[in-house]
Amino acid sequence: MNATLAAVLAILGLTLIKATPLIYAALGGVLSERAGVVNIGLEGILIAGAFTSVVVSGATGNPILGALAGVLAGMLLAAILAYVTTRLAVDQIVAGTGLNIAALAAAAFGLVLVYHQPGASHEVPALGRTGETVLVVLAFVAAGVLHLVLTRTPWGLHVRACGEDPSAAESAGIDALKTRFWAVVIGGAITSLGGVYLSLAELDLYSDGMTAGRGFIALAAVIFGRWTPLGATGAALFFGFFAALQFSLQRAGVPSELLQALPYLAALVALAGFAGRVRAPAADGVPYVRS
Amino acid sequence: MNAGLLRTRAFRDLVVVVVLVFGVGSIAMLLAHVSPIVGFGALFDGAWGTKGEIAETLVQTTNLLFPALGIAIAFRAGLFNIGAEGQLVMGGFAAGWLGAQFPLPGYLAVPMVLVAGTLAGGAWGAIPGIMRARFKANEVIATLMLNVVAILLTTYLVTGPLQQGGAAGSETGPLPKAAQLTHLFDTQLTWAFVLALVLAFVLRWVLQRTVFGYELRAAGDAPEAAKRAGIDLGRTALIAMTLSGAIAGLGGATIVAGALHRFNTGLSPGYGFIAIAVALVGNLDPLWIIVASVAFGMLQSGGIAMQAEAGVPREVVSLIIGLVIIALAGRRVVASRRST
Repeated sequence: MNATLAAVLAILGLTLIKATPLIYAALGGVLSERAGVVNIGLEGILIAGAFTSVVVSGATGNPILGALAGVLAGMLLAAILAYVTTRLAVDQIVAGTGLNIAALAAAAFGLVLVYHQPGASHEVPALGRTGETVLVVLAFVAAGVLHLVLTRTPWGLHVRACGEDPSAAESAGIDALKTRFWAVVIGGAITSLGGVYLSLAELDLYSDGMTAGRGFIALAAVIFGRWTPLGATGAALFFGFFAALQFSLQRAGVPSELLQALPYLAALVALAGFAGRVRAPAADGVPYVRS
Repeated sequence: MNAGLLRTRAFRDLVVVVVLVFGVGSIAMLLAHVSPIVGFGALFDGAWGTKGEIAETLVQTTNLLFPALGIAIAFRAGLFNIGAEGQLVMGGFAAGWLGAQFPLPGYLAVPMVLVAGTLAGGAWGAIPGIMRARFKANEVIATLMLNVVAILLTTYLVTGPLQQGGAAGSETGPLPKAAQLTHLFDTQLTWAFVLALVLAFVLRWVLQRTVFGYELRAAGDAPEAAKRAGIDLGRTALIAMTLSGAIAGLGGATIVAGALHRFNTGLSPGYGFIAIAVALVGNLDPLWIIVASVAFGMLQSGGIAMQAEAGVPREVVSLIIGLVIIALAGRRVVASRRST
């Protein structure tokens, strides 16, 4: 009986660990998409957060400084995406895809420059148990805050207006380009915390490919969670739960590849409308050009 | 070269790309304490130095040309197929598995392998096409998700229910000799290269000279007007996505039949994503895409030599490709997308 309870607690604990980076990335995705910018670059922003935080923590010996630097790097990358997608009105999907490729390559190149070895960094001072707990709790706090911001504050209303109909928003006196820009940048800050969590809390190093497509799972969570902070958090927990179950289910004979495919299949089902009506913000993915 | 050509978008893009390649490349090489002259020298020499290296560059050109042509077809129809990678993997899988499972005699083996890859890639492309046509589901997210599902599904199949003898790890058994593509000039180059070139010319003709090509471009350029003119947007989307996937799948089959001689889940180092850059640099025009494929094929094959000879990490090449994609995301054809 006690063994069962321990096993259940272990799975739930592992669920939180697996879900936390997904929650951060999904929240960043929600904020950006509610403003009308599809952020395919979530994966790249996770990489930027994970890599930069490790390098700065290693160089300064201070993991908190590392975490802050990781967030700054994520914001910088998001700002590039935000600039080209708002001011230059380039295609969001193509730009985000390029961002992912560039971020992955830049981190791999950075490993060789800083650590003179490919593949992985050295071990660096990490955030430890306390830091990990803080980041897990903060993810849920962020979800609640983002929910309130989007539903209860003027800025949240502006963001949603820009995601639904930017030209109507502009006639109501909202600067749609500026609102979209900051939604993507703040979304990038939130997302990068997921990267910081992966490299400085769950581990104490950066290795190539450590984000392992979490940015794409987060995009699936955004859709499955119907573009709301709380829904996306729920979806991230759901996907985290299956990731945590993986080892037990694998032992029971369920192939791990099918379990890993679950978030993506869930998103496809949601997209096709089999899981109730799912509607993206009306102007999601459409560049806004002032006429 | 006249003034008109200098003012074209394609030419300006070319300038942007050349500046990016040499600018970013030089900075990265300097950071790695390598003289750009030495670094780029190693890259060009590694891509064009010997007969074998030229062949390898053209092999990489071929591997990029197929998915880039597929992507261009979808983009021209206003559909964002970023699932070429998954379609290529599914095509490679069908080719490798069927080729090893049913050893056909002589002249039948190669056609079967290539057709199998084309059909599988087409089917994988048809999924988001149907979702788009029937449920108005966003093809971007769908193709993105299907990329990962393709890798996971094929890994599961070749290590599980469809495992074959002679396979170690996540791969199929070996292809019989009859199903392998013949090499040209005693090098790694196969006639898949010629097939890709012919395909580019055929697609150019289809896009410019046929009713279907016209409908496809109309659906991409001005969906509202196309709809009023009686073009069935859903049907066009389905056909364009299926065709797009089929071409990428054919590319996967040629990698299996031409180089690996078996399907392996790691058969593509991201050809389906690099091909987005190739298609954009090629102005979504099949003939310009040939030129762009050679350029990127050179970066791919020369990158290995650059790392070995000059000590510049080959990730520099991926970094440049990523930046090229960001820089060219503003293409008019691309930016005209609307969610209708």
